[in-house]
Amino acid sequence: MKLYQVVFKDVIRRKRRVLYATLGVIIGTATVVGILTVARAGQARIYNQLEKYGPNLAVIPAINSMDMKLGDVKLGMLAVGDNYVPEEKLPQIRQIADGEIRKAMNIEDEGNIATIAPNLFVDTRIKNTNVVVVGIDPDEEKNIKTWWRVAQGKYLERDDQALAGAVAAQILNIKVGDVVPLDGTSVIIAGILEETGSNDDYQVFVPIATLQKASGREGLVSSVDIRALCNACPVEIIADGINREIPGVRAVAVKQIAASEMGMMEKISKFMLTLGGITLAVGLFGVVNTMMTSVNERIKDIGIMRAVGASRSQIVKAFIYEAVIIGIIGGILGYILGTLLAYIAGPLVFEGTTVAYVPLYFVLALVLAIAVAVVATVYPAYRATQIKVADSFRSL
Amino acid sequence: MLELKEISKVYGEGQTKVIALDKISLDVENGSFVAVMGPSGSGKSTFLNIIGGLDRPTGGEVLMEGKRIDDLDENKLVDVRRGKIAYVFQQYHLLPSLTALENVLLPLVFCGANNEDEDRASEILKKVGLGNRTGHKPGQLSGGEQQRVAIARALVSRPTLILADEPTGNMDRKTSNDIMGLFVQLHKEGHGIIMVTHDPEIAGYAGTTVFLQDGRIVKKNNKKTARIRKDDN
Repeated sequence: MKLYQVVFKDVIRRKRRVLYATLGVIIGTATVVGILTVARAGQARIYNQLEKYGPNLAVIPAINSMDMKLGDVKLGMLAVGDNYVPEEKLPQIRQIADGEIRKAMNIEDEGNIATIAPNLFVDTRIKNTNVVVVGIDPDEEKNIKTWWRVAQGKYLERDDQALAGAVAAQILNIKVGDVVPLDGTSVIIAGILEETGSNDDYQVFVPIATLQKASGREGLVSSVDIRALCNACPVEIIADGINREIPGVRAVAVKQIAASEMGMMEKISKFMLTLGGITLAVGLFGVVNTMMTSVNERIKDIGIMRAVGASRSQIVKAFIYEAVIIGIIGGILGYILGTLLAYIAGPLVFEGTTVAYVPLYFVLALVLAIAVAVVATVYPAYRATQIKVADSFRSL
Repeated sequence: MLELKEISKVYGEGQTKVIALDKISLDVENGSFVAVMGPSGSGKSTFLNIIGGLDRPTGGEVLMEGKRIDDLDENKLVDVRRGKIAYVFQQYHLLPSLTALENVLLPLVFCGANNEDEDRASEILKKVGLGNRTGHKPGQLSGGEQQRVAIARALVSRPTLILADEPTGNMDRKTSNDIMGLFVQLHKEGHGIIMVTHDPEIAGYAGTTVFLQDGRIVKKNNKKTARIRKDDN
């Protein structure tokens, strides 16, 4: 028999008391795990949207008073109308974007830096069904929509080809190789995209020149997406430059919206973690309290152990073992409870968030719970060693 | 083996000063069986606690095998408790969460038990008549049985001196006599025993009886183990 076995048997006998002591650890750990899990889910959602959204900047006709909304891919839809950005302004836009990036990053190299992808949105009918056909620059668009995967067929290679979104292909009942009439001309379906979860799924993409010609909108674009090649790129400066120098268009930095949302998110996380820390501290005092009661209740047992040869350090060890048991139970239950809490609270805090449990936080919960329990036990254990054996029996 | 030189124990100061032991001197030879008698509050238990190092005297010296133990620091006192001295208490003082066997093993847990020790512990339990009760917890045992477990626990560390504080205090006459029979047997086997009691009949089992009153030894009887001789007949 070993000392930890003696402690374990005693813990089992006093299970209700021990569970009570564990409660503080459970609540504290659960709060921290819950907050971290929710915060992580929220962050993942924002990153995901950023990635989905692609461009750092969107250039739209100035007269259009549409609201840019992060995660709402309806941006292009609003551009459908009679307001356009003249295609001849693209080189100017590129000049400003590349120039600002060169300045900011100290790049000497000539040539194109930013990805500049013009879009033309045309609401038309294919096979008697209303559909939005988007004119794109195939090479530039690929750099903006990096998540695009061609499910069937190939990506656009020629001007008489078209690419169908997953849902659009289904609704219009078109297959790779089909020839589809498009206003005055016709295009061959080169490929069908994998589902993206965005509006792209409902659209058909053709080279912009083809669409301009077919719809009689030569030299016009609905909007321009700009993606700088770096995260630290000065998109706000580029936006300012475009707004200042090119009349008739409005440039909006997507990152600004994202950054402010991210910053808000971080502030909320910090605030909630502080709350979690306070809960943990309160839990710690709870454990100290129950441990002190436990010491008082077990004065006799401690006296017995001392009388039969336990040293002070062995008494401390016995209490630390008990703390570790409390920590393990508290960590496991705290993790489970915290994760459940996150699943319930997550969607309430961040609308539409899918919360995923984080196995790494289980390790964190265990370490945290054991640390709290052990710290909480130090003083009670010290008090236990100060018990005089003779007094411990006299009090009975 | 045990020498007490003018042991004093004073509680409190000034007006509230209580003298529990007043310059007691006593020699206990190896293997002797001493009963300490006296009315309540005469200092019997304090006396026993000081001998065993559970309490410290405020004056005088306690020598065990020629070495002072009253001024040892905690860690060295632990060694004394682990080897030479063992206790049997009136209230048995068993750990309620452990079985009889585990309670007997407890002293060895603190100095590192191994499997051989477990065999030894169950042998000792057999010896005190509890061979068939090793797996029972204290709550499932009678008072007499619990005290046998406590005695077995005292024996497991092979002590030279057993200190017993009213070991039969909570028992009826028959159980008391059974337990005392066990003490007498241990004495015969060479264990030294110092036993505190207020019961003259129980004290009758001991070879020497010391009477305490108001913290002093007022009388000392050497009965030449009368009771044992009677048993031998």
